[in-house]
Amino acid sequence: MYPNEIMKRREFIKFSIATSTIPLWYKNASAAEPITMQAAWINDAEFAGYFIAIDEGIYLDEGLRVNYLSGGPDVIPESSIITGKADLALTTPDTTIKAIVDQGAKFKIIGAQYQKNPIGVVSLKSNPIESPKDLIGKTLAVPPVNVISVEAMLEINNIERSKVNIVPYSYDPTPLIKGEIDASLDFTTNVPYTINMLGEQASHFLLYDFGFTIYNDTVVVTEDVLKSKRKQLVSWLKTSRRGWEVNFKDPNLYPPKWKDTWFKGTGRSIENEIYFNNAQKPIMESPNGIFSMSEDDIAKNLEAIGRVGIKGKREMFDTSLLEEI
Amino acid sequence: MSIPFKLVKFIEILTFFLIWELLGRLRIIADGALPSISEILIKFWEDRNDYPEHIFATIEGAGYGFLIGNLFAILAGIIFALFPWANKIFRGFNIVVFSLPPIVLAPILSLTLTGITPRIVMAALGCYFITMTATYIGLTRSESITINLIKSYGGGKFKHFFHVSWFRALPVILSGIAVTAPNAVLGSILAEFGGGGRWGLGVYLIGSLGRGEPARLWGIGIMATLISGMAYLVFSILSKKYTSASKSIDTSNSLPNGELASSESYLGKILIVLISFILPFLAWYLFIILLKVPPLIGKNPFDVFAYVFLSPNHLLTQSKLILALSETIPITFVGMFVGLGTAFVLGIGSRYFTRIVNFTMPLALITQTMPLVALTPLLVLILGREYSVILWITTSVTFFPAFVNIVQGINLIPKSALEIVKVYGVSKWKELVIVIVPSTLPFLFTAVKLTAPRALLGVMIAEWLATGTGLGNLMNQSRGYLDFSMIWTVAAVSVALSVLFYQLTIFIESKLLRSYNFYTDN
Repeated sequence: MYPNEIMKRREFIKFSIATSTIPLWYKNASAAEPITMQAAWINDAEFAGYFIAIDEGIYLDEGLRVNYLSGGPDVIPESSIITGKADLALTTPDTTIKAIVDQGAKFKIIGAQYQKNPIGVVSLKSNPIESPKDLIGKTLAVPPVNVISVEAMLEINNIERSKVNIVPYSYDPTPLIKGEIDASLDFTTNVPYTINMLGEQASHFLLYDFGFTIYNDTVVVTEDVLKSKRKQLVSWLKTSRRGWEVNFKDPNLYPPKWKDTWFKGTGRSIENEIYFNNAQKPIMESPNGIFSMSEDDIAKNLEAIGRVGIKGKREMFDTSLLEEI
Repeated sequence: MSIPFKLVKFIEILTFFLIWELLGRLRIIADGALPSISEILIKFWEDRNDYPEHIFATIEGAGYGFLIGNLFAILAGIIFALFPWANKIFRGFNIVVFSLPPIVLAPILSLTLTGITPRIVMAALGCYFITMTATYIGLTRSESITINLIKSYGGGKFKHFFHVSWFRALPVILSGIAVTAPNAVLGSILAEFGGGGRWGLGVYLIGSLGRGEPARLWGIGIMATLISGMAYLVFSILSKKYTSASKSIDTSNSLPNGELASSESYLGKILIVLISFILPFLAWYLFIILLKVPPLIGKNPFDVFAYVFLSPNHLLTQSKLILALSETIPITFVGMFVGLGTAFVLGIGSRYFTRIVNFTMPLALITQTMPLVALTPLLVLILGREYSVILWITTSVTFFPAFVNIVQGINLIPKSALEIVKVYGVSKWKELVIVIVPSTLPFLFTAVKLTAPRALLGVMIAEWLATGTGLGNLMNQSRGYLDFSMIWTVAAVSVALSVLFYQLTIFIESKLLRSYNFYTDN
């Protein structure tokens, strides 16, 4: 609802300042084709590229009208594309592939936002956990939905599951700061900032760097949508990539601008988003462009999830749309 | 006279806040995880621009749900009171609606519904059973004397309904509505928390959780408490007003009217039980069909049955379920016992020390509306991640409805009964044993029925947030595995379990109250 309003406001501004371009704008808007995307979480820097592409008219210029759905802990992004609420969703590849294998879901992965999954084990410098081995005998808080990833990482590093005390994590770093838990599983692009704010130093490692080599925020569509909206999907990939490129030119630039729009009342601070935006740059950028999926990386993804018994196949990834950009 | 009393009350409130402030400032509780009142207020002031839209969104979801839920509830209550057969047929349905654990329901609703409908449905479902029961009890408690009176003037049950029952039922209905206010707010917040909307206190909460700032979380919780507290206050004042009006009509306790039950044939009874049993499954089936939920996501009763008993992996599924149940069930019983015990002792105690109510009510209200996820860090820091944290959460979840019910029961004790013991100069202890405990027993059992499913909910919340065991954890892990069948199965199993607890209470109630010679209606 709100993104739409923002778009309307934007169109209104365009309308009022650039009267000479009315015919062009009118043509663009009427020809714009709608596409709905389901994000994986509430509004934060994780989705900065899309906010830019909406705000700066990058989508609209390509004839796309993007309807943006925020996520949350109960929102299973895949379910939004199954029910048709959304055309594409940002997902974690392990769950998506497990759903294809176990449930026969007709999904295709058409791009990957994070080349390296930002999920990692975060601990305090005063009680550092710097590799999976350090977890033995320790208490690690994990969101229930991510237990599968941690189990994979432990398995890959030959650590028995029973040697680590895994407890639920509810996104609040307080138990970590107070030493009730030794480490938590979270986005390493995000939590270290909060820990610094709370007067401690954070130590962290990515699951990716210890063998769990998967993407994150994979762009997933159903086979039906892939057939019926292929053109829009290609231009979504193209324009979203442009949005991200604009964002990474100066990661400090955009977050403050969204103080009263995208980030209003999210409960998070703008400084936090700036930290996040800078931290995610190296794990998103790729020589082949944002969203790219190289053969090598796909193989790594399949191998990693294969270690926990998820038998993914190359054909679950469709790289042909990226090639059309 | 009235001024010193007010002064006492004022000092009490002041002491309450002073103690809180000191506990927070001196970082006594969990090394400062409990913020002081002033810290919460300062944070609230800093965040003042964030709140309005969130508050408005929560009031919108909770408000619609509150209205719709209570309206349906009163209508249903009236229908069930007038037509006992309808009550019997819908019995299974009613119990299931009441037993639906919100944390199981929230993800299923956000899977299947869009926009703010999950919030409205969650809020409405939180209101329905309590107000429906209150309406029904209020209407059917009408005295047989007045029924006979109206009958002798040629009036039927409808006449009685319009002239007498309604008037007598009103305070009970209003107090029922009052109790539902926190449920509506919490229901909406739970749906907001997970549902991915842009506004609402629940959305604010999820964004704020990652900051490790207890003062913000408490601010949100207290705001939720204020909203439901205000609704609670309005309806309890109304309820009190009508109670004092109807109390003046003092009649003896009602007697069993068993004629309806015995008038039906054996076959008829079986038929009614059967329909009552099938109805909830039918509702489940229709929910999936009518909303056109894709088969991959929406599982109907047959799918769940097949998943648990027929699928190639059914043994694995069963062993997962059995393990989870063996962790969840025993602690649920303990939690229920502790929660009810506390409520009963404090409820009875409130008759002698009215201040107990003054002190417990705000605390109990906070535990009702403070989303537990916001309190998790505090709880695990104080209580750890073993049984004590489960017990505490379960007690806090079961206490409020039980306490309110028992206090209500004490308020409804006929004046004549209390006056008689007074005349005989009986001691307070004797009065307690002879009058108060027996008269509150039916209300205690209503409380047990109300809390049995909530105890399971409390345990599941604790398992989900703190211990990572049992059904609560299985539910959440299944979401990570995108195992929709398991999500529906856990939901179905937890509802079945709640219903079982509920039925068990009724069984014990009928045995026990019969020995006390009380009429119970179920």
